[in-house]
Amino acid sequence: MATTAERPAAALEQASTAARRRRRRRAARHRQLVALAFMSPWIIGFCAFYVYPMISSLYFSFTKYDILSQPKWVGLANYRFMFTSDPLFWVAIRNTLWIIAIMVPLQVLFGIVTATVLTRIKRGLPFYRTVFFLPTMVPLVAAALGFIYILNPAGPVNRVLGVLHLPEPLWFVDPRWTKPGLTLIGLWGIGQVMIIFLASLLDVPRQLYEAAELEGARPWQQFRYVTLPMISPVIFFSVLIGMIQGFQYFTQAFVVSKAGDRTNEVGYPQDSLLFYTSRLYQQGFEGFHMGYAAAMSWVMFVVIMACTVVLIRSSRRWVHYQGGFR
Amino acid sequence: MSATTAAGAAARARRPVPPEIRRRRLLLSVANHSVAIALSIAFLLPFLFILATSLMTNQQALSPNIWPHPFVWSNYKTVFESFPFVRYTLNTVTYAGLATVGVLLSCVPVAYALSRLQWRGRQAAFILVLSTLMLPPQVTIVPLYVIFVRLGWIGSLKPLIIPLFFGDAFTIFLLRQFFMTIPQELSDAARVDGASELQILLRVIVPLAKPALAAVALFQFLYSWNDFFSPLLYAGNNPDSWTLAVALQQFTTLSRGVLWNLQMAASLLFMLPVIVIFFFAQKVFVEGVTLTGVKG
Amino acid sequence: MRRRLIGLLALALLAAACTAGGGGSDKPAATVDPNANHAPLTLTVWSDFSARELGVVTAGLKMATQKYPWMTVKHVGSKNDQDIQRAVNGGTPPDVAISFTPDNAARYCDTGAWQDLNPYLQSSKVDKAKVWPEGVFSYTSFEGKQCALPMLTDAYGLYYNTDLLKKHGISAPPKTTAELADMAKKLTEYNPDGSIKVAGFMPLVGFYGSTTANTLSHAYGAKWYDENLKPTLTSDPNWTKMFTWQKAMVDAVGYDKLQRFAAKLGGANSEFSAQNGFETGKIAMMMDGEWRNAFIEGDKSKVNYATAPFPVDPDQPGLYGSGQIGGTIGGVPKGVKHPAESWLLLQFMTTDNTYLTTIAHGLKNVPSTFESLKDQQLQNDPRFKPFLDVFANQQSTFKPITPIGQTDTDLMDTFTQKWQAGKVPDLQAGLKQVEDQIAKQLQLG
Repeated sequence: MATTAERPAAALEQASTAARRRRRRRAARHRQLVALAFMSPWIIGFCAFYVYPMISSLYFSFTKYDILSQPKWVGLANYRFMFTSDPLFWVAIRNTLWIIAIMVPLQVLFGIVTATVLTRIKRGLPFYRTVFFLPTMVPLVAAALGFIYILNPAGPVNRVLGVLHLPEPLWFVDPRWTKPGLTLIGLWGIGQVMIIFLASLLDVPRQLYEAAELEGARPWQQFRYVTLPMISPVIFFSVLIGMIQGFQYFTQAFVVSKAGDRTNEVGYPQDSLLFYTSRLYQQGFEGFHMGYAAAMSWVMFVVIMACTVVLIRSSRRWVHYQGGFR
Repeated sequence: MSATTAAGAAARARRPVPPEIRRRRLLLSVANHSVAIALSIAFLLPFLFILATSLMTNQQALSPNIWPHPFVWSNYKTVFESFPFVRYTLNTVTYAGLATVGVLLSCVPVAYALSRLQWRGRQAAFILVLSTLMLPPQVTIVPLYVIFVRLGWIGSLKPLIIPLFFGDAFTIFLLRQFFMTIPQELSDAARVDGASELQILLRVIVPLAKPALAAVALFQFLYSWNDFFSPLLYAGNNPDSWTLAVALQQFTTLSRGVLWNLQMAASLLFMLPVIVIFFFAQKVFVEGVTLTGVKG
Repeated sequence: MRRRLIGLLALALLAAACTAGGGGSDKPAATVDPNANHAPLTLTVWSDFSARELGVVTAGLKMATQKYPWMTVKHVGSKNDQDIQRAVNGGTPPDVAISFTPDNAARYCDTGAWQDLNPYLQSSKVDKAKVWPEGVFSYTSFEGKQCALPMLTDAYGLYYNTDLLKKHGISAPPKTTAELADMAKKLTEYNPDGSIKVAGFMPLVGFYGSTTANTLSHAYGAKWYDENLKPTLTSDPNWTKMFTWQKAMVDAVGYDKLQRFAAKLGGANSEFSAQNGFETGKIAMMMDGEWRNAFIEGDKSKVNYATAPFPVDPDQPGLYGSGQIGGTIGGVPKGVKHPAESWLLLQFMTTDNTYLTTIAHGLKNVPSTFESLKDQQLQNDPRFKPFLDVFANQQSTFKPITPIGQTDTDLMDTFTQKWQAGKVPDLQAGLKQVEDQIAKQLQLG
């Protein structure tokens, strides 16, 4: 039981704790406001350029809208058309899958190969690194134009192939060769991926290799059991980014299709270059079926999310994180 | 190189190397260099073809000669005369420059709040920022286009520049990662001295973050310089607002009778500034790219 | 918290619905400017003309200033239909728009992107039937709305190199597609390595823009749609006949060889350059529009040539003398700042006979009004007269226009390119697929 002498002291104690608590709360609120003030540009941007447009585009996807007149509610008609009646929807999906299933793995592979070559170079590494990285500096439009010329049926590459008595494909005029042609452009720009792989390869601890060599592992086995697991986080990162970018593939395809003749449809020749975003652009900004384009964009969003989740889930099985890599 | 490997290398250096192993190492080195040289040629060849064609007459462009005969240096002058190259360059510089400024101005405080301030909702906000990275732009372009039509901004570069004054997820992410590596003691010391958060940001953090800021600025400049889809969409119908990327693509389709030599010359002029910047800022680039990949 | 979130979401949805509205209300009937004094005004005209043709039309448009001294006309070229559509959607349309693609007229009428000109025509007391031949209305109006008017028109026919024909002992141009096939075979010359040196005829679709499934369809009288706007690609047997003939023409030389030859000539982009295959004597016979006469002259090509109507199906000799017609159209886009003045300029551009005949001479296009058709200079030009006759032929048509614009021809061209490459094993099935695609796209609108 507190004595009379202690009660005022206790009350004083309580008063000061309460005051301290109040001060702390005020301080916390002040901190909160300061933080929000610092975050304000992003908050405004997020609401105006992300939240609002996302809700808006979801709404548009259920309408028929061409900007000139009011949007007309059509319910699920756009989605129904997309999956059952759009003549080119599945073509676009197939082409986009080609990018993701063929071009992206090839790019990752080539990135690893070129990075590996660089790890073995002792002299002149900066020179080679610069040369390999330089093409990524080139704007996509310029790169596409350059390759349209280089891969012209009468252009330099075909002339070299002719001298070597190899078949001369018609490249961007022949629908069977347009996507491989685009892959060449993609491989040329491998520099950025390569740099990341290079750093990762150089980070693999030497003693792991030495230990493997001591156990009699051949170079190939060393690569399979030491290198690959060690660089698997970077592989995962590259594949993830490559996949997301693959879904959005547009610029090179657009430039190549229209370069031969402006009146060519997006996707020329024979819709071999009609990718998902190309089809979206064609319907939304050439045909002005904005509701349909919005529906396409939401389907794309859902698919990308699903694929990302699948990839992340699968990564638990094959991606090996060293301590500190996260 | 860790301590063990340095010791190992030193140990190996002390042992005499038998000639067969030396020969094998030499052969391997030659083989590696040959592959690297071959790859280098493959990477450089497109540049050479473009350069060579840019100096040819149009007749020669698709002919069997791959060496310009004669050298038509005037092609570069013709490019400037054939279309308003200067205006397009100005547009591109304006877009890239203002975009970079906007991104730096808006992302630095945001990254600061996400890394060096403690507040309720910080984790959730960071996740939201990251989520916008995952969002494909196609989902928002239709309504954004409509908004910009209503605002009357279509046909100008405003739709491209102004949103960047409100943050960019990639930049915020990079800067946050970097800010987190700056020791807390520095901020705490400044706080004890009575500095406000803004002062800490400007006087302590920003000077220390110069390499990251440089990398981020370079990335944004490069990205905006090369950007095609957004300028095509928002400024595509107004040639006065075209950036170089859009102009170059439009002119391949416009010229009746493709003038390959001029197109290659124009493409080279388009690439040149960025390549020059790259050579001067190589280290920043490579470090910046590594920052994204490995520590990501 | 959740309630607040839902409220916010609802607000956003409401805001989305509100700001999604279309631009501006449609103003009622048009008023036309009197020819009296008017404040100086600059009107912008957009078209897809370029190079030489651009100069011809710009010079012609200066005549508008002579007639209306207060009006200055700024002519911007290289603007295709999508550019114009985007400008209309963006709220910054040109005062007058010119299009080379009449296929889109139906869509312009349907969506209101180009204004209905009937009220303007009435106010200006223009009697459509007295000014223009009946044929032009098929590609400038849709469901009662006249949203475009023809500004000169086109006709397609056969161009043939008289030197090359003489060299191989041919005296007269072919009248049937079978004769064309025979002559093409005789006229094709090869290099020692087997590649094509001179092509007798270029049957590839997707190379030069005048050879499309649509232009070739007129040789066989094939019909796109029936009265209910249902595609008749499989029900009309003439399509099958045309495609079979076209593929035979391609296979007679070889698809691969033809593609390489096309690339050698400079690809599709060389069509309007001085390297054009016909103008450089590398193609002996070609289907092209009447404007090629002007290009041959403008490019100072040395080719000796003559023109004739395009050969037709041997089973339908009565078709000979007809062909595809239809061409440049002009209109007043929605949302122009000075609709009355825009109409005045458009009226000038589509009815003023001095203007029309001047640019008809410069562009070598077929004039579109009854008055301008009487022009002696064009009537007396032996290389131009065949095209005038094609235009006058009752059986010459454009193609039914639909709200999906040129999507049907795009789908058809993609199909034709697959077909000529040998990728379509069953022609009927392939045509049915295209038919379904067009029908489905018509539903989407």
